[in-house]
Amino acid sequence: MEIYVLVKQVPDPEAIIKVKSDLELEIENKYFTSFFDEIAVEAGLKLKEKFGGKVTVLTLDNRRVDALRRGISMGADEAVQIADPAFEGSDQFAVARTLAAYLKDKPFDLILTGRQAMDDDAGIVGPGVAECLGIPHVHSIISLEVDVQGREAKVTREVENGKEILTCPLPALFTCQKGLNSPRIPQVMNVMKAMKAQIKKVDLASLGLGPADVGSQALRVKVQKYLPPPKRPPVKMIKEDFPENVKTLVKLLREEAKVI
Amino acid sequence: MALDFSFTEEQEFFRQTVRDAVNRLIMPRVKELDEKEEFPWDLWKEFAGLGYLGLRHQETYGGMETDTITQMIFYEELARGSCGFAMSAIMQILMGTYFIARFGNEEIKQRILVPAIKGEKIGTICFTEDQSGSDLGGTRTLATKVDGGWRINGRKQWITNGPIAEFTTVMATVDPKLGLKGLNFFLVEKKTADRDGFVTGQRLHKLGSRCSVTGELVYDNVFIPDENFLGEEIGKGVQYAGEILNEVRVMTGMNALAISKEAMEDARQYANNRVAFGNPISKYQLIREKFAKFWAWYEASRTLLYKCAWMIQSNIPCTNECMLAKYHATEMCMYAVEEGMRIYGGNAFCSEYPVQRFWRDAKFLLYGGGTHEVLCDYLGRIYCKD
Repeated sequence: MEIYVLVKQVPDPEAIIKVKSDLELEIENKYFTSFFDEIAVEAGLKLKEKFGGKVTVLTLDNRRVDALRRGISMGADEAVQIADPAFEGSDQFAVARTLAAYLKDKPFDLILTGRQAMDDDAGIVGPGVAECLGIPHVHSIISLEVDVQGREAKVTREVENGKEILTCPLPALFTCQKGLNSPRIPQVMNVMKAMKAQIKKVDLASLGLGPADVGSQALRVKVQKYLPPPKRPPVKMIKEDFPENVKTLVKLLREEAKVI
Repeated sequence: MALDFSFTEEQEFFRQTVRDAVNRLIMPRVKELDEKEEFPWDLWKEFAGLGYLGLRHQETYGGMETDTITQMIFYEELARGSCGFAMSAIMQILMGTYFIARFGNEEIKQRILVPAIKGEKIGTICFTEDQSGSDLGGTRTLATKVDGGWRINGRKQWITNGPIAEFTTVMATVDPKLGLKGLNFFLVEKKTADRDGFVTGQRLHKLGSRCSVTGELVYDNVFIPDENFLGEEIGKGVQYAGEILNEVRVMTGMNALAISKEAMEDARQYANNRVAFGNPISKYQLIREKFAKFWAWYEASRTLLYKCAWMIQSNIPCTNECMLAKYHATEMCMYAVEEGMRIYGGNAFCSEYPVQRFWRDAKFLLYGGGTHEVLCDYLGRIYCKD
């Protein structure tokens, strides 16, 4: 099977993120692979182990290739970075358009990616790529079986109060949800391989796209303003004795905190 | 522009990968590992399966042949999880297998080194005795030459992995009167029905680093064949030990870095949340000073340790620098865990909070690679050109 996995490097949960200005974030230089994308890589590797073939990890990022190295360390065969100064400021639609432009001439059976990136939580790129390529797409799958001969996949996804089982002709794109698998911890031999791996680089021109197709010129979703989370309010001490203190606590939980 | 303190993108990737493995395999079990005080065989097998035990060994035997800086990144990240588990793993990676890889013949390497890298056989190195530790010249374990081999007699104490070890690299003297010049390394395996070898003695119950099992090993007139002599020349054991002593000291410093950082990160969160007199205690200057001092000393320690790693990797003589780095990092760690305990106030004194574990684990770092009294005496003498 020819499998492509779309991956993204996102700020580490431990990284310090500050709102620098209305439209700019200051992010500490700590990145890791978006968790849902790791699930997608694992799903691709499991299919490769069963049916043979090749897993390629693909990212669009001008600066970082952490997620590609992570993919190789887990067992992916190839890694491709799409990078070009014109991508600066691209929204999710431009990213989807670009990834699809790279994939459109490639022979693939399956494209996998995370259900959403763990930084912007948008969940747009996966379905966007499928739309651009004109292939079927199922979102947030928690199981995946492939019938190679019949060129068909059977997937499960969670719906309200239950599960939905779907079949889908290949080639298709699936976004992966927690529960599909537990991503493997890479073996050090593969980590070393990933550290030395040559990453193939692709630029905008080679994809047949122009500057108007990506970056700030092609924005369909605009950030209006970043807001930091509200600061923790001061601790309120209830100084009354029992049972008045309980009554006051219940009142505060109901009227101020609004949690009951 | 020769001075460059940055890690490469590949090294950062390696750090992130090890950190992730530690977060997933070890972190969720840290409290349990400390409380059970048993060697975690299941974790060992899972960890060994990832291949990290071969980090510094030749590819021919299943190793990875990584450079010193990469190894130090690994030691730093591993000790963030469980200091005890890190001690057991690092014993296997570095001290416990170094002399076998360096001097063992092919049969020994295939029989011992290859399964050691897979984690199937556990090994250790034995220096300490009841009257010798930092004072290696006081070693009393005796190696006597006999037909076709050697007879080893003595008792070794404070042996990391000792109670579960299947093979040991033992320091023994050919004549106690020769002091340091009589010392040598020998490979001695555990006694079985068809092989002479060491037996395990008393297991020690430790203050910290508790999932690394430590104990006494007894060598009672054990016969070993000639090929188990690990060296090229008799009497050069101390010189051979010197080959890894720099690495051992910097590695110990890396462990100190990790524990101190974990302790202070934990204390920072506590100080930001614990309210006294109407404010989080991190708002008070005396508490802030603790973090400021730690930060300054931590950064200095880290820079010196990685400088030493770079010097080792570049084959630049650095014995004194590595002693300084180990001393500074471990003392810095003592400060961090002590002040962490104070930031926690009375809560530090119960096992509910991890700060007491950092305090207990950190104490273990004071002794390996030379006690600070021995190191400081030596360094002071060198500085005074005495």
